Amino acid sequence: MKTGKRKKWIVLVLAFVIIMIGIFIAIKEYRKGTETFKMIFIPKIVDETNDFWTSLLDGVDMATTEFDIDMTIVAPASEEDYERQNELIEWAITQNPDAILICPCNYTKTTGAAKKVLEAGIHLILIDSVVDEEIQEAIIATDNVEAGTKVGKYMKKYVEEDTEIAIVGHVKGTSTAIEREYGIREGLEEASERIVDVVFCDSSSVKAYTLTVELMKKHPNITLIGGLNEYSAVGAAKAIRDLGLGDAVTVVGFDSSTEEIRLLESGIFEGFVIQKPFNMGYLGVQQALKIVKDEEYEPYLDSGSELITRENIYTEENQKLLFPFRGGK
Amino acid sequence: MPKKQKSWSIFLRKFKSIRMAMLVSFSTLIIVTLISFLFISLNYTEDTVLNNSTEYTSKIIKQVNVDIDAYITYMENISSLVAYNNDVQNYLFDTDLNSTTETVLYQSILTQFSTVMEGREDICNIGILADSGKHVLNAGKSELNEYASLDTMKWYKNTITNMGTTSLSSSHVQNLIKYNYQWVVTLSRSIRNPYINGEYGIFFVDLNYSAISDLCENNSLGTKGFVFILDADGNIVYHPQQQLLYSGLKTERINEVMNCTENSFVTEEGDNSKLYTIATSEKTGWKVVGVAYVSELQSNKDETQLIYIVVTGMLLLTTILMSIILSSAITRPIKGLQESMKEVEQGNFEVVDTSSVLNNEIGSLYHSFNVMTIQIQRLMEQNIIEQRQKRKSELRALQSQINPHFLYNTLDSIVWMSEGKKYDEVVLMTSSLAKLFRQNISNEEEFVAIKNEVEYTENYLIIQQMRYKDKLEYHIDVDKDIYMNNIVKLVLQPLVENAIYHGIKYKEGRGLIEVTGYAEENEIILSVHDDGQGMDDETLMHIFDKHSVNYKSNGVGVYNVQQRLQLHYGKEYGIRYDSKLGEGTTAMIIIPKEIKTGEVFL
Repeated sequence: MKTGKRKKWIVLVLAFVIIMIGIFIAIKEYRKGTETFKMIFIPKIVDETNDFWTSLLDGVDMATTEFDIDMTIVAPASEEDYERQNELIEWAITQNPDAILICPCNYTKTTGAAKKVLEAGIHLILIDSVVDEEIQEAIIATDNVEAGTKVGKYMKKYVEEDTEIAIVGHVKGTSTAIEREYGIREGLEEASERIVDVVFCDSSSVKAYTLTVELMKKHPNITLIGGLNEYSAVGAAKAIRDLGLGDAVTVVGFDSSTEEIRLLESGIFEGFVIQKPFNMGYLGVQQALKIVKDEEYEPYLDSGSELITRENIYTEENQKLLFPFRGGK
Repeated sequence: MPKKQKSWSIFLRKFKSIRMAMLVSFSTLIIVTLISFLFISLNYTEDTVLNNSTEYTSKIIKQVNVDIDAYITYMENISSLVAYNNDVQNYLFDTDLNSTTETVLYQSILTQFSTVMEGREDICNIGILADSGKHVLNAGKSELNEYASLDTMKWYKNTITNMGTTSLSSSHVQNLIKYNYQWVVTLSRSIRNPYINGEYGIFFVDLNYSAISDLCENNSLGTKGFVFILDADGNIVYHPQQQLLYSGLKTERINEVMNCTENSFVTEEGDNSKLYTIATSEKTGWKVVGVAYVSELQSNKDETQLIYIVVTGMLLLTTILMSIILSSAITRPIKGLQESMKEVEQGNFEVVDTSSVLNNEIGSLYHSFNVMTIQIQRLMEQNIIEQRQKRKSELRALQSQINPHFLYNTLDSIVWMSEGKKYDEVVLMTSSLAKLFRQNISNEEEFVAIKNEVEYTENYLIIQQMRYKDKLEYHIDVDKDIYMNNIVKLVLQPLVENAIYHGIKYKEGRGLIEVTGYAEENEIILSVHDDGQGMDDETLMHIFDKHSVNYKSNGVGVYNVQQRLQLHYGKEYGIRYDSKLGEGTTAMIIIPKEIKTGEVFL
């Protein structure tokens, strides 16, 4: 073989090898089309004993697996520790994920940190709660006005001629309290005029208990009480039970717990509206993925709520909502 | 067949070299074979991957089913143990019991329950209940939930309906135990009151739901795939996405599963296509369904395909490289032979080196070629020798002739001189003639010493001078040093003869012929000069032509001399003429000083 010819062959062989490598890379690239996105989720807390957060994380988990997302979950040790959460948000930014999902600990104090997420060019999705500025790209939460309306409409059934109504709220000025109260009034319609008092227990069932006892002394004609969250509802119900007014006074509330279920079964509670944290978590991740992929998404998404009464507590659907199953994990 | 061969040969004729033909045919064959192999493999894998996956999932969900059945069998065994226990019946229904016997019975039942529950974490509740409100629960430490309304519970209703046999509930929250809401699967049966007809009690045992959910969760089908369970009525016993299903965020193909007669089906959802594999338990009627994402199964397929493609590519590369090398190895000797033949064509008879050639058809070609080349070479050499011999004898024949005219004229001159009684002259001429003849005939050698050649020429000149007394004068001056050098015989005399007949003869008055001889550096020059009429350029140009033989001379023409000189000394030697019309002519014989004997120039 002459050197010229040999060169030609070498070129041919090289070309072939390059084509093979090209095909290989092309296939790899094609498969990269389904690449995994990196996200960081920062809830208020990760608490194994709390049904709400456990369900929410289950939902996040489900979506994470289904959509094949590289998800990291970090949370402060307590729901009130917004400072720690802000630190975690800043750490998350340094990880440069595709999206950061936050359940803001504080309505005002979390805003600054959340803004930095956007400044870093990272997608921001809020779950469960909002902050005082509308900075998020999407919010997935329970529509509290809608949930409140459900409670209000249900309460309206128990409105009689001389019914007086009281509302035991959790924290004055929080968005949930305002929205839920507003919803209740909407649901009650003209009966909302019968609301004689609104008190706030600062999310303490003990305080709610004493407040309710005082309320009943002040307004003995009250026959309908609405509790705006689990603590306020349980506190109020327990007070009514202990006052022996279980037959006379109807208590309706928000959120669920074993105690609430017991109180519902025993007839103190007439019903409560529960959120769907599992759906919240699942939808949160789903929306985040849509945003990251630049697909159409809902900027405000209601994760839904359900009115639970003694009659429907053990239906197939509601069992799953009320008793989030935590086996095997 | 012959037709086919023809088309093949037409195909192969398109290529300029055998190597190219081999290469293209081999490569085509290899590529076609490998590509067909690749396609068959790929198709085959696609089918096998799906079949294997179906088989694999089938195995998994069958195992899940077997495990569930094992739980249910265990629970059924407990139920029959309890239901036919006299203690249980007596405790629940005998109204005449005193408190001591009642306690004894109660304890006995509790002991039995404890034994059952011991070491079985998967059994979370076990209990008996009578309409009367009498009950035994677990180890006796659990309280009955006073608010629980049994009549509304589905599993209780089923138990009452399925009198005498066991009923199995779907998954549900057990609210019978105070402060303990647990997800369970309940197996229950009614217990007949032997004393009062139509009154019943029930026995139930709760299987911790996690026992079942764990089974499903631990048997993952890929990262996305999952296992779910439906009861005989199509209610969900376990589904990892149950909450999403209830919220309407997702749907499950429950109807399709319930109506499916096969063991598996594949949904057509593009990238989200799923493989459903179903196993129905004969014991419970439950359906365990495995859902695997086809895309995940195919990721495996993609890898296999990639490997096939890469391997095929490698094989192609190596086989084509091999065919390049092999075809070159096979055709190289043929090429070598071709080149050798070209050499021979150009007259270069070199024998080809056959040491590197294999002993095959090509080897024998080489051998034949070499034999042929040697034969040709020998023939050619022989031919050369024969030609030379022929030439020599021809020349010799010519040079040995003495012109009869010359002889006649000379003899005539001798007669005339004898008649005139010029005896001295007769003697001189006769002796010169005799010498001339002796030299001509005696010497068989081709070469003679220059001395002899000069003497011969002088004898000739003596005779000619005696004949042309008033017309010819000559002068010979040859360097003695070159006397003993050899020269081809009979070369000088013809030049002298030529000078006489073409130069002096036509001159008016006396003519002078000068013969000189001397050595130069490497050459010996013998020159014959006449002051005759000379030659014009035209004549000079044809001086060496064959036809210019003068029959009157002794027959050895200038052509002959020139031929012989060049035959012996080479083309660069021979005769050189120099002539001017009216002034005379000089002919020079130039030969090399040294000559290797035996060398012949053609």
